[in-house]
Amino acid sequence: MNVKFNSREPVYVQVMQHFKEQIARGVLEPGKEIPSRRELANQLKINPNTAQRAYKEMEAEGLIFTEGNLPSRITNDEQVLHAVREELILDAVHTFVQSVKTINVPLKDVLDLVKENYERNE
Amino acid sequence: MKYLKLVNFEINRFFKLYMVLVGMVIVSQIAGVIVESRSFIKEANMTIRELGLTYTSYAEDYGSLSLGSIMRSGWFVLPIALCIAGLSFYVFFIWYRDWFGKNTFVYRLLMLPTARLNIYFAKATTIFISVLGLVGLQLLLLPIENKLFRSLVPVDLRHDAPMSELFTFFDGLGIIIPAHLSTFIIHYGIGFMIVFIIFTAILFERSYRLKGIVFGGLYCVIALGIFLLPFIIVIYQEKMYLYPNEMFG
Amino acid sequence: MIEVKDIKKRFGRKQVLRGASFTAEKGEITCLIGVNGVGKTTILNAIMALTPINSGEILIDGKKLTKDTFEKITFIPDAITMLPQMRIADAMEFMRDYYKSWNQKRADDMLGFFKLKKEDRISDLSKGNTAKVNLLLGLALDVDYVLMDEPFSGIDIFSREQIAEVFTSHLIEDRGVIITTHEIHDIEHLIDKVVLLDEGVILREFNVEEVRETEGKSVVDVMREVFHS
Repeated sequence: MNVKFNSREPVYVQVMQHFKEQIARGVLEPGKEIPSRRELANQLKINPNTAQRAYKEMEAEGLIFTEGNLPSRITNDEQVLHAVREELILDAVHTFVQSVKTINVPLKDVLDLVKENYERNE
Repeated sequence: MKYLKLVNFEINRFFKLYMVLVGMVIVSQIAGVIVESRSFIKEANMTIRELGLTYTSYAEDYGSLSLGSIMRSGWFVLPIALCIAGLSFYVFFIWYRDWFGKNTFVYRLLMLPTARLNIYFAKATTIFISVLGLVGLQLLLLPIENKLFRSLVPVDLRHDAPMSELFTFFDGLGIIIPAHLSTFIIHYGIGFMIVFIIFTAILFERSYRLKGIVFGGLYCVIALGIFLLPFIIVIYQEKMYLYPNEMFG
Repeated sequence: MIEVKDIKKRFGRKQVLRGASFTAEKGEITCLIGVNGVGKTTILNAIMALTPINSGEILIDGKKLTKDTFEKITFIPDAITMLPQMRIADAMEFMRDYYKSWNQKRADDMLGFFKLKKEDRISDLSKGNTAKVNLLLGLALDVDYVLMDEPFSGIDIFSREQIAEVFTSHLIEDRGVIITTHEIHDIEHLIDKVVLLDEGVILREFNVEEVRETEGKSVVDVMREVFHS
C-alpha cells in the first residue's frame, strides 16, 4: 500500500478516501479482513492515532465492522457498498464539472469529448 | 548496588593508564636497584684492584652503598613524581573526559536512575583506590627491592637499614608513606579533602561555565580558609595551642 | 503528561528561553519545531535536568524529576551517549546493568530490524548506524516518555526512512514522545502535535489533524504564518 498524502487535508480523511476507492474498485472485497491499526500505520507510514481515527470514523459510517476481539472487516452491507461507489462517482463528476465550467464549454461538446475519450481509453 | 557498579566501571576506564603508571614504577625502581648496585660494585672492584684493598677497607674509606641512597636517585623519584602528576591530572580528566567530543557520555551518567552523588563518589573512590593502590605497590616493592639489593651487593660493601628506617631515607617518601598511622590518616585525609574540593569546583564550572569558574574559585578559597582556620586562630590569638592538652605536648 | 511551565534559561548574557510553556501527552508524538539555536535542545536538557534552569517548573505526570524518573523517561540526544571504544554489545550490557526498564528482547528485535552487528565498535559505525544504535539504546527501555533531539539530522535518506518507520511501530505506540526538528518534511504525517518555538518562547501549539481539518492548513502553512508575521 502506498499513498501519497496531501498535507493540507486531514490524514484520517485521506485514509478513509483511500479505503473507499479500494472498496469501489473491488480491491477490498466485502467481508475482507483489514490490517490492524498498527499495521496500517506502518504500511502507510502514518501516526497510529491517525489510523485509529480513520478506523473509528469508518466504523461509524458502517464501512467496516468489528466482532469481539477479531480483526475488523469490510462491511457486507450492499447498501453501504453501493453508496460508497455512488459517492466516489459523484465526487469525480463534481470535480470534473467544476473544472470544465471554468473554461465555459457547452455541455454537449463536453459530453461528446468525454464519450470519445472514454472509449479510446478502453 | 549502583555505586559499586559505577566504581567498577570507572576503574575499568582508568585501568590501562593506571597499569602504565604501575609498570613504570616497577620497571624503573627495579632497574634502578640493579643499575646503581652494579655500577657501584664495578667502581668498587676497580678501585679495590688498583689499590689492593679489601671490601671492608673500601667501605671504610669510600663509604658503603645503602638502598636509601638508591632511593634518592631519579630511578625512584621520577616514577613517583610522574605518578603524582598523572593522578593529579586524572582528578580533572576523570570529569572532563565525559564532556569530550561529540559523544558526551556524561549525559548517560547523569540520566542513570541513581543518585547523582553516586557518580561523584564513584569517581572520587576511583581516585582514592588508585592512590592507595600505588602506595600499596610501593610498600610491596620496598622489601623486594631490599632483597634484590642484598643479593646484588656483597655484605661488606653495603649498609643495611631496617625497613622502618628506609622510609625516612627520603623525605618525599616520608610524606607518601608516613611512619605512623595517625600521620598517614592526616596526610591522606588532607589529600582526599583536596580531591573533593577540586571535584566540587569542577562541577561548579561544568554547571555554570564562566560564572561557575568564579563560584568554584570562591568555593576553593573558602574551603581553604576553613581548613586553615586553626592556624589563623592561633596566629590571631597569639596562643600557641588550640586545646589545653597541647600545652604539655 | 509532561508539563513545561514558564521556564527561563540564560547562558551568560544570552537569554535562551524566555518563559516557554507547553505540554506533551502520553500516547502522542509532540514535535518541537524551530530553527537552529532557538532553544529546542535546551528545553529537552531542562526536562531531563541536564542543565539548571533559572526559573519555571517542569512536571512529569504531575511530579518533579527524581532519580526514579529516569526509569520512566528517556532522552536520545543528537549524538550517541556511549563511549566510542565500546562495542554495541557493551553498550547494551551497560544499559541492562543500570536500568530496570531495559527490555533485552526489544533491543535484540531492533538490532535485527536495523541490521546492526553486536560486535561492531561504536567508533567504527557510519553516521546512520550510530543514530540507529542511539535510538535503540533509548527505545529498548520500557519507559512512558521518550525525548529525541533531531533524530533525522545529518543522516542518509535510507536510515531516515528506517527511523521514520520506527515511529509508526509498537516501539513508539502508547508512549509520549517529544521530538525536535528544524525540518518537518520527513515526519509531517507521523506527528500528533506541533509546538512552534522561536527566540525562547512558544509561538503556537496545535494538533496537526485539527489544523488540517478546521483551517485546511498544512504544518508548513502554519509555520509560514507564525514565523513570518
